[in-house]
Amino acid sequence: MRIDQQPTFVMHGRPYRETSLLLECLTRDHGRIGVVARGVRRERAKLQRSQLEPFQPIALDFLLRGELATLRAAEPIGLPMRLVGDALMSGLYLNELVVRLTARHDPQPAVFDAYGSTLRRLADGEPVGWTLRRFERDLLDALGYALALEFEGDSGEPLVSGGSYRYEPELGAVPARPNEPHTVQGRDLLDLAADRCPDAAGLAALRRLMRQVITFHLGGGELRAWTVLGQGGVRR
Amino acid sequence: MSSSSKLLAELIDALRCLPGVGGKSAQRMAFHLLERERQGGFRLAAALEAAMRDVGHCSRCRTFSEEPVCPVCASASRDKHVLCVVESPSDLVAIEQATGYRGLYFVLLGRLSPLDGLGPEELGLPMLAQRLGEGEVEEMILATNPTVEGEATAHYLGQLARAAGIRVTRLAHGVPLGGELEFVDRGTLAHAFGSRQVLGS
Repeated sequence: MRIDQQPTFVMHGRPYRETSLLLECLTRDHGRIGVVARGVRRERAKLQRSQLEPFQPIALDFLLRGELATLRAAEPIGLPMRLVGDALMSGLYLNELVVRLTARHDPQPAVFDAYGSTLRRLADGEPVGWTLRRFERDLLDALGYALALEFEGDSGEPLVSGGSYRYEPELGAVPARPNEPHTVQGRDLLDLAADRCPDAAGLAALRRLMRQVITFHLGGGELRAWTVLGQGGVRR
Repeated sequence: MSSSSKLLAELIDALRCLPGVGGKSAQRMAFHLLERERQGGFRLAAALEAAMRDVGHCSRCRTFSEEPVCPVCASASRDKHVLCVVESPSDLVAIEQATGYRGLYFVLLGRLSPLDGLGPEELGLPMLAQRLGEGEVEEMILATNPTVEGEATAHYLGQLARAAGIRVTRLAHGVPLGGELEFVDRGTLAHAFGSRQVLGS
């Protein structure tokens, strides 16, 4: 199947054979696919490597046959987004998260759009922590793992802003026992649902919650980016 | 590939582990060695055996070396206050050949890449942090590649060096010498434009 001008983000590239690259791409209409870019590591390659770097929107022409696609052409769409510093590290986290949570050949236009706007926010220097939480929320939503942020998981009662909750990945928010550690406030969950940025303590609680939920959906195991970013002193 | 000799078949198969060598080239190499280069073949075998057995990594900079400390790190004429961090031994060689750099190196043998499972531990960063803590290094030159992962690595290393109170510099990016702006890709041109310099008098 020949596909032209498909909006795409490259997530990751690894050397393949002598002069080729194996790209992991997020396309808008064909989901995540593996793409072989033949000969692009050659010195005089027709297609420049810099166009196949992550974090820039490109229009991809490729042939899709079986598991892997073959790259035919790629050209940038719009201006390149420049992620620097913490935003760059966060971008690598986004990529690992998307690759680990999505399946290949599963079209998810909502994930593609959320990813694109998240990169834009990171490039524009919006606060990294809140930007990532919004993306995680939208990603889980699009993949059918939506968080229950407005009602209690067991009773179905509306969450109380001043209430203290424990979040269980399979069930949702349930009222915390007295003195339970790692709780999250009702108002933080409601803020996330309404797309309002909570305070620093709220962000920290949501970050912990997201890690727990993502770990659950990964089927155990960790994201590599957590350790890299954690040690780099990046505030997320 | 049918071959009358088992040893010959084995040799051809072994040669295929080299980059860019497929069945056909491997066969050509094997026949060439057997027909015309027996001496060269023995030399190759001995060199290969010795190198595979004895070449390890320098305990200071992690580049390939058969000594515990490589000649560059052991040299007294090198400036011990400047440390250049590169991704691979081939990058080290490129800098040695192209510049008059007289400082020392640190070779990461990779770059930060969560999706490849490469983190700070795999790149020897605890070892680098310890070295920065020794207080001898005054400037760290970040010569990782200008790729997304190379930039992320540079950012991480920059934080490491700043925490140790060391001056950090990064290789400049820009238009290649002898190049024409018309044919330079957008990203590079945008970068070169953004980090333009005041023209010296």
